[in-house]
Amino acid sequence: MRHSLRAVAPIVLLTALAAPRAAYAQIDLSGEWGTTFFEDILHRGATLVPGDNTGVPLSEAGRRKAESWDEAVVATHERQCIPHPVTYAVRGPGNIRMVKIVDEPTGRLVAYSLQGSYVGHYRTIWLDGRPHPSELAPHSYTGFSTGGWVRNTLVVKTTHMKMGYLDRNGMASSELATMTEHFIRHGDRLTVVTFIHDPVFLSEPFIRSTDFVLNSSGNAGAWGSCGPDQIVDELVDRAAGYVPHHLPGTVDPGREQFLSSRRVPLEAARGGAATTYPEYAARLSELAGAPGRATSTEGPACGGNRCVAPPPNDGSSVKVTKVQGRVFMISGAGGNIAAQIGDDGVVLVNAGTGKVTDKVLAAVRELTDKPIRFVLDTAADAENIGGNESLAKAGASGGRGQVAGAAIIAHESVLRALSAAKNSKNTALASVSPGSWPTITFAGELKDVQTNGEAIQMLHQPAAHGAGDSIVFFRGSDVVVTGNIVDLTRYPLIDTAQGGTFTGLLAAVNRIIDITVPHDWQEGGTLVVPAQGHVGDESDLVEYRDMLTIVGDRIQDLIKKGMTLEQVQAARPTFEYDGLYGATSGPWTTAMFVEAAYRDLSGRR
Amino acid sequence: MKRFAGVLVCLLAASGGVAIGQRGRGAAPVGGPPKAVAPIDLTGNWVSVVSEDWLQRMLMPPRGDYAGVPLTLEGRRVANLWEPASLATDGCKPYGAPAVMRIPGRLRISWENDTTLKIETDAGQQTRLLHFDPPKTPVTERTWQGYSQAAWEQLIQRGGQGGGLVPPPPRAGAALKVTTTKLRAGYLRKNGVPYSEDAVLTEYFDRLSEEDTEWLLVETSVSDPKYLAQEFLTSTHFRKEPDNSKWMPSPCETRGKK
Repeated sequence: MRHSLRAVAPIVLLTALAAPRAAYAQIDLSGEWGTTFFEDILHRGATLVPGDNTGVPLSEAGRRKAESWDEAVVATHERQCIPHPVTYAVRGPGNIRMVKIVDEPTGRLVAYSLQGSYVGHYRTIWLDGRPHPSELAPHSYTGFSTGGWVRNTLVVKTTHMKMGYLDRNGMASSELATMTEHFIRHGDRLTVVTFIHDPVFLSEPFIRSTDFVLNSSGNAGAWGSCGPDQIVDELVDRAAGYVPHHLPGTVDPGREQFLSSRRVPLEAARGGAATTYPEYAARLSELAGAPGRATSTEGPACGGNRCVAPPPNDGSSVKVTKVQGRVFMISGAGGNIAAQIGDDGVVLVNAGTGKVTDKVLAAVRELTDKPIRFVLDTAADAENIGGNESLAKAGASGGRGQVAGAAIIAHESVLRALSAAKNSKNTALASVSPGSWPTITFAGELKDVQTNGEAIQMLHQPAAHGAGDSIVFFRGSDVVVTGNIVDLTRYPLIDTAQGGTFTGLLAAVNRIIDITVPHDWQEGGTLVVPAQGHVGDESDLVEYRDMLTIVGDRIQDLIKKGMTLEQVQAARPTFEYDGLYGATSGPWTTAMFVEAAYRDLSGRR
Repeated sequence: MKRFAGVLVCLLAASGGVAIGQRGRGAAPVGGPPKAVAPIDLTGNWVSVVSEDWLQRMLMPPRGDYAGVPLTLEGRRVANLWEPASLATDGCKPYGAPAVMRIPGRLRISWENDTTLKIETDAGQQTRLLHFDPPKTPVTERTWQGYSQAAWEQLIQRGGQGGGLVPPPPRAGAALKVTTTKLRAGYLRKNGVPYSEDAVLTEYFDRLSEEDTEWLLVETSVSDPKYLAQEFLTSTHFRKEPDNSKWMPSPCETRGKK
């Protein structure tokens, strides 16, 4: 006995010292998990049709977005490789795999990798306490996820999601949405409870719970890939930029069949928070005799204003965001400024309002001590060129431009607009100092610049936002700067006084889409610096282009019906997009945007 | 000998320190009646939010719509025999324990006593009693709600400390596990999708917090050797309500006739 105790004691001592102390409240979620189809099979299987929004707490904006959706849109070039977005992926009909990612020196669990045949690609759920990225960082179809344990549940928060969908019939989730998931394991069963919060397309959080069973002999990894080389022409005889959609008042032909075969009142089929509560049964009884009626007095999301305030651009917070390659984005000093950094020096695209040039310079100096060589202007806008003079003075062109300081390059229409503004008292451009005027101009469609070992092209786009728009393409870094042609925080500013047109602007967006080439799964690849908002890519442009096309088609349709500008504005052709881009006050309102489009499309300038 | 024994006691205490700490943070349900040691509070008023299976739950599904239910051939045959007219006589069949949590409605959960949790439904006016103590006498009667045996979840830890010499104590879970038997045969869905009296219902009740709302999640598994080819899994969510002002009781007998 004595000897046995002597023998055992060291073992117990070692075991006690080695016992893990941080594992509490962590349940092992790793493994292959097979999905189950016992719930919502009518929404998750092939039977789902456009118009079946039952059980989804859509806002009126969400309903209209779903109703305008034409399933042919998934056949367009830019949508063929879009994966199931994170708002739907776990709900999709595929198995998943949860893989532990461990910090090797410490053995600490730092993340889970969630993989699956319908998840599209790897999704990382960080558990190491890292913060979410800046609001200016790119979005993706998987978003950015962090998690932590609450009792025995892994609770995951996801942000930075691209515009996606809730189901495969046009019910959308916006890029302003966030998501919380609760991963709960009981034995061989895993339940993932998902809450989607979307101020634009939902009026209440959308909750779903999806069940998986441990499937140790499974392999969820057969998801393949989808890249630009795999995209084919599915829609023939359609012009570039064609966007399939249903105009208001027209519906998908499958909807009527769905309503009649399932005896669903139209109001209930359109979804909405009220329909998800037990007391709606009484309303269903009322509707039984009037199945075709659907009325809603609900206005656009957030009273017609963008639901989440855009990042400040008044100089109070100037931030630098790495885009890719040699290109950075400096935000907060007016419109977004792009900065190319290299051994030759600095190339800036746009210069902000000029009110906080010292902060912009400080931001540049954080990146390099090399001189600013060029300032490239995308258009004649006070919010983009006000800082030209100060920034140019702080630089040196290196013998180019015939002036001291950095050279300022723009299309000649910019110089023309600035000089004309000197004799005008009703434009913000009149306040722009001649020291901010371009020192080098070009009159044609293209201006080449070569610095830091990289080709830069300024591509003129006539009659878009104004008369002198240029798209700036950093060919080596694979970054496009859109100027005011694309603004991810509002409807595009169309300066009709300077020759801007709706159709020209839409053509410019389509041209940028032609330039951009995504990586697999329709994200990344060529990145985009917009006028305002986060760094984007082609899919962000496609959502923006689709919005412009759909709104333009609606206005065109209303014009054909003989409607006046006031009648068109009252019809709210932008309704479901106002929560993303709208403004009821300020320098560029939704009404002004609709007016600009109306005047261009009607020819009544 | 005493010296070594003392060392061992100290080491075991050190080894068990993890478990003690766990109890401190996780409230292991030992040392008191189930009500007193409950790791989560399930009591209160809850409303089902019907964001899944809306067509089958909010409307009367047509005969033969058993989509998603893993019926055996016999189960399908029986489901196909159902007639809407039978609602007038078998109105309570969809309100048995395997299906009642899926019926749109409200729950009122309270402690009947220190060892029995009570769930009342306004839809169908059913009462479920979840017994933490074993039955004093064998249960023979079959009822819509059957006999439910409840236990706070315990997470068994395997292997590890001491190579089996010192088996680690079970960790406190954070859920209620309920197993229900002695059921009357009923319907999994209102349109006659059957379960037999041999069905066994296993449920986990979880609590979730989501921003400023509290949620109850009921994960259900129904096994039935007669009508189900495999376990039928659903998970149903309820949002907490501040009071019972929206409680709208309606008996299953009359609901079936509507």
